[in-house]
Amino acid sequence: MSDTTPVMEVRDFTMEFGDKRVVDGLGFEVRPGETFGLLGANGSGKTTTVRALLGIYTPTAGELLVHGRPFDPAGDYSLGYLPEERGLYRKEKVLDVMTYFGQLKGMERSRAALWSQHYLERVGLGDKGNAKLTTLSGGQQQKVQLGVTIMDNPSLLILDEPTKGFDPVNRRLLLDLVEAQRAAGATVVIITHQMDEVERLCDRVLLLKDGRAEAYGTVAEVQDSYGAGLVRLHFTGTLPEPRGWRPLTLERNYAEIELAEGTDAQALLRQLVDAGVTVRSFDAARTSMEQVFLKIYGHQPGEGAA
Amino acid sequence: MKLHNLGTVLGFEVRRTLTKPSFWLTSLSIPLLMVVIFALMFWSNSSALSSVDTQRGEKQAFTYADSSGLVSPTVAAEMGGTRAADATAAAQAVREGRAEVHLDIPADPTREAVHIVAEDVGLIQSGQWHALARDLLERSASERIGDSRLVGVLTGVSTDAELWKDGHRSPGLAAAVVPGLFLVLLYMGVLMLGQQMLNITVEEKENRVTEMILTTLDPRVLIVGKVLAVFAVGIVQAMVLLVPAVLVGVLFPGLLGAATAGPGNTLPADEMPPLALGGEVLIDPVRIVLAALIFTGGFLMFTGLLVAIGSIMPTAKDAGSAFGAVILAMFLPLYTATMVINDPTSVVSEFLTWFPLTAPVTALLRNALGLLPVWQGVAVALVLFAFASALVWLGVRLFRQGSISYDKRLSIGKALRASRSRPGS
Ligand SMILES: Nc1ncnc2c1ncn2[C@@H]1O[C@H](COP(=O)(O)OP(=O)(O)O)[C@@H](O)[C@H]1O
Ligand SMILES: [Mg+2]
Repeated sequence: MSDTTPVMEVRDFTMEFGDKRVVDGLGFEVRPGETFGLLGANGSGKTTTVRALLGIYTPTAGELLVHGRPFDPAGDYSLGYLPEERGLYRKEKVLDVMTYFGQLKGMERSRAALWSQHYLERVGLGDKGNAKLTTLSGGQQQKVQLGVTIMDNPSLLILDEPTKGFDPVNRRLLLDLVEAQRAAGATVVIITHQMDEVERLCDRVLLLKDGRAEAYGTVAEVQDSYGAGLVRLHFTGTLPEPRGWRPLTLERNYAEIELAEGTDAQALLRQLVDAGVTVRSFDAARTSMEQVFLKIYGHQPGEGAA
Repeated sequence: MKLHNLGTVLGFEVRRTLTKPSFWLTSLSIPLLMVVIFALMFWSNSSALSSVDTQRGEKQAFTYADSSGLVSPTVAAEMGGTRAADATAAAQAVREGRAEVHLDIPADPTREAVHIVAEDVGLIQSGQWHALARDLLERSASERIGDSRLVGVLTGVSTDAELWKDGHRSPGLAAAVVPGLFLVLLYMGVLMLGQQMLNITVEEKENRVTEMILTTLDPRVLIVGKVLAVFAVGIVQAMVLLVPAVLVGVLFPGLLGAATAGPGNTLPADEMPPLALGGEVLIDPVRIVLAALIFTGGFLMFTGLLVAIGSIMPTAKDAGSAFGAVILAMFLPLYTATMVINDPTSVVSEFLTWFPLTAPVTALLRNALGLLPVWQGVAVALVLFAFASALVWLGVRLFRQGSISYDKRLSIGKALRASRSRPGS
């Protein structure tokens, strides 16, 4: 397996439940070492795509490959999957459950137990190893779940809404742990509604809408394709006729300008200079992912129809 | 299948069951209860026996009035009886507690009952008064006839039959014991392990662990591992039941026999009638092998059925009602047993013998009683094995498809269509 083989490949993936087509001819790939964001409104088919990738759902059509092959649960993967629907054997002891999953992932029993104990200490649950999972708070259980996911430092992490239901402290902890995995070379696929997380973490993203890829590329590319951005301008002189841009605010010496698609900040600057405008400050900002989301789905991320 | 995971699943499942105090509490409660009952039986039995012994040692003093003239005064005197001068006064003496027992023999004891006035010595022990009256009349009669064998013939003859079929000696009921034990074993197994079998596929679903499991190991490994774990736990449970029983049997050999004789038995142990278990047990290897085959097939069928049910139902509660129906169907043949025994070739009997759900119990019953031809027994076992494999196959597929329908009941048709189109399965 060369370094350039995509970790995941999805081609012409279609998924129907009864008469309902949930995903329609979707295609994308995830490259080794990158952090990939799978975004979309509730019910847009993100979880379905991941489940089909991992062989939990059988696709209606299309090809879904992990490391170049259809996923085989018994195969030798180094995979950490945090499902959207999560839970653990509630009546068992924390350490027993973690060790069990470690063993299932191919670790030696003793090594799995040791790893688990270290992890529990790291997340402040060092004294809970022999407690039953039911006796733990919701947040503590989530930490254990996350531990099971990143056990044995998998080279591929798939996290389906990992921060859902996390309080800010645990969210911070989770993102740090994910970041550590990423820094160690893991490929991370993250499904999230948190657009600030996307901007901070992701290399590339796919935005799903009605089962199709609405946008796909690096974060910058996606932002650029949804309005090249916003320019805040301090100037003297008279602005030329708008070509590929539109002033949102126009005062005597200040303007906020929205760039149209296909126009970049450079082009605007050139037009201004050519028109003899003295530019005293030029501050180009990309459209935030939040705005991109709003544009595509017509509502804030995390709300709206499921 | 990755077999190292099978060991992991088996180890985890067995360990977590055996390390639960509740497992030991429920498992040990049965033998403990048995020990208590046996001890009670032994205690009441030995007190009964000792009181009988004292009776045998000393004669029972009694008074009697004889209107029939059948009672021999010598016999009566030997037994400790005194002829009452005044029957009413003698009866009154008993009523006032001055005497223990008075017998009033009527003119014709074959038509009228002997009236006994006696002290109440407990529901069971009071039976001795009837025995006393019968004894008195029988021994008087035998003295008059002069031939005790004649009296014996009149009072009851024991018989012993030798049955033949197709030129072979039929083993009769004695040969039913060992094959019949498999019926008991099936009943115990179903009762004690059923719930755990049902949980095999429900638990992951209820706890939302399935997605983690399905992406980490082959579901077949999980299910087979869990089934094996239930079997292993069942064996441990059987040991917990058997070891104390065997220990009691070895340490106190008299206890089990005395207890089986029952507390109502006032005869000493050496005069006990031979019981089915205590008597001769005939070994018929063909029937025993058949019983073992049918038992295994039946138990596997039951396992497969529960695995499949668990895969369809979203929660243990939903699965529970289906489980009840299965148990009912399986043991229904016990209620129709007389019909099956009386006419093993009737349409109903045949149906119950071949319908997979009722087959194990019906076939085991017929086989134990020698009412099932060998070829049919083998065929029933084969049907059960086939049905069991189909159910396990179905169960694994349903588990794969249904395990993420957390709330809905799975549509079997949909699941099967989906699994058929699945590449490589
Ligand atoms: N097992 C299923 N049976 C029927 N419909 C389903 C099933 N799983 C998902 N869906 C439907 O598919 C659509 C996409 O769901 P999902 O992939 O979970 O969305 P997302 O994860 O993007 O929020 C939803 O309309 C959902 O109702
Ligand atoms: Mg989802």
